[in-house]
Amino acid sequence: MIHIGKNTSSTIVSKGISAMKGQNTYRGLVKVSPRADKARNFSQCDSLLIGSECGAHTFPYLDSLNSSAQVEHEATTSKISDEQLMYLRQRGIGEEDAVSMIIHGFCKEVFAKLPMEFAVEAKELLNLTLEGSVG
Amino acid sequence: MIDIKNIHVDIGEKSILKGVDLSLEKGKVHVLMGTNGSGKSTLTKAIVGHYDTTVTKGEIFYNNKNIVELSPEQRALEGIFLSFQNPIEIAGVNNAYFLRTALNAKERFDGKKETNAASFLRLMKKHVSQLGMHQDMLIRSLNDGFSGGEKKRNEILQMEVLQPDLILLDEIDSGLDIDALKAVADGINRMRDGERTFLIITHYRRILDYVTPDYVHILQDGQIVKSGGFELVDILESQGYQAIQKDI
Ligand SMILES: Nc1ncnc2c1ncn2[C@@H]1O[C@H](COP(=O)(O)OP(=O)(O)OP(=O)(O)O)[C@@H](O)[C@H]1O
Ligand SMILES: [Mg+2]
Repeated sequence: MIHIGKNTSSTIVSKGISAMKGQNTYRGLVKVSPRADKARNFSQCDSLLIGSECGAHTFPYLDSLNSSAQVEHEATTSKISDEQLMYLRQRGIGEEDAVSMIIHGFCKEVFAKLPMEFAVEAKELLNLTLEGSVG
Repeated sequence: MIDIKNIHVDIGEKSILKGVDLSLEKGKVHVLMGTNGSGKSTLTKAIVGHYDTTVTKGEIFYNNKNIVELSPEQRALEGIFLSFQNPIEIAGVNNAYFLRTALNAKERFDGKKETNAASFLRLMKKHVSQLGMHQDMLIRSLNDGFSGGEKKRNEILQMEVLQPDLILLDEIDSGLDIDALKAVADGINRMRDGERTFLIITHYRRILDYVTPDYVHILQDGQIVKSGGFELVDILESQGYQAIQKDI
């Protein structure tokens, strides 16, 4: 993300999901040029782990040449716990559906901003990728 | 309805239930009491197939079928419902969406037509206001940031929506204010139709003043030591557990 003009603002939302032995890394550069007075950026990196052998890493890079700029970064990592899956399964929801329900919940913020056709596509892609990722 | 026969249950390496025999008569309200750590929650976990528990011996017959080998979701679909002592929070999963998914799964299993979105919403509104919950509990994430009492009401909401046959309520009354206790008790009484069977785990008499039990069972150190009627609750309230003589 490169800020050139005055009073510009931007948001970065990254959602990473790691399953099995997957490692997921976010690297993002936010650059503020000398003339971009009062530029604002907010970056949010959320990682979701499925199982205990995967991991997530976040490397935000900030290159600010204007002292009036305001740049914020937030990172969270959550894990689908066995206890959560048990709760959903106790209500009659199968294990794979339970995992996919939690993952869709996690991605909702991003999916909600996609145009309709993309959102549908993205959801299907996600389901396809998740097949057999638990167990 | 459910016949638990000489069940032995381990958690990890530790033996927790040491030969529990318990039959729950269909259509009745059974109460289970016992000191902290006696194994009450463990018993409910074994019934629903929680991964913490390993059944090393004995059988659990539900509608005359041994369910020990069934998956948790299968047991749930067969009509077993557990309100957890500490309902877990699931961020991002919308409460109403979760409930509808669970209801539809049950309807599919029963070979019924799935409730559509509009009638589901009407149904929800009715239940939520009956339970004195805020309507926004439906749009929030499942139990996420709910207060203790709100979580318990949300368990009762799920029970009313899913209409299970065997209902296990693990300390549904703990941490409730008086209004919430009444709302929860009303929910239980609405479901009490002479067909459904209840197992209510509690430490206090309070909830039993609203939901009159048919039977009371006492679990101590991994075994049922006494079964009887309401008089057992009176004895416990006045004299504590040491007053309970073991029946063998
Ligand atoms: N996951 C676990 N790991 C190890 N020990 C456990 C675990 N869960 C339960 N226990 C032990 O099993 C025993 C029985 O616990 P349980 O939760 O069934 O008791 P309870 O009768 O429900 O008690 P309370 O009235 O305090 O809820 C306790 O000694 C407890 O420490
Ligand atoms: Mg307990």
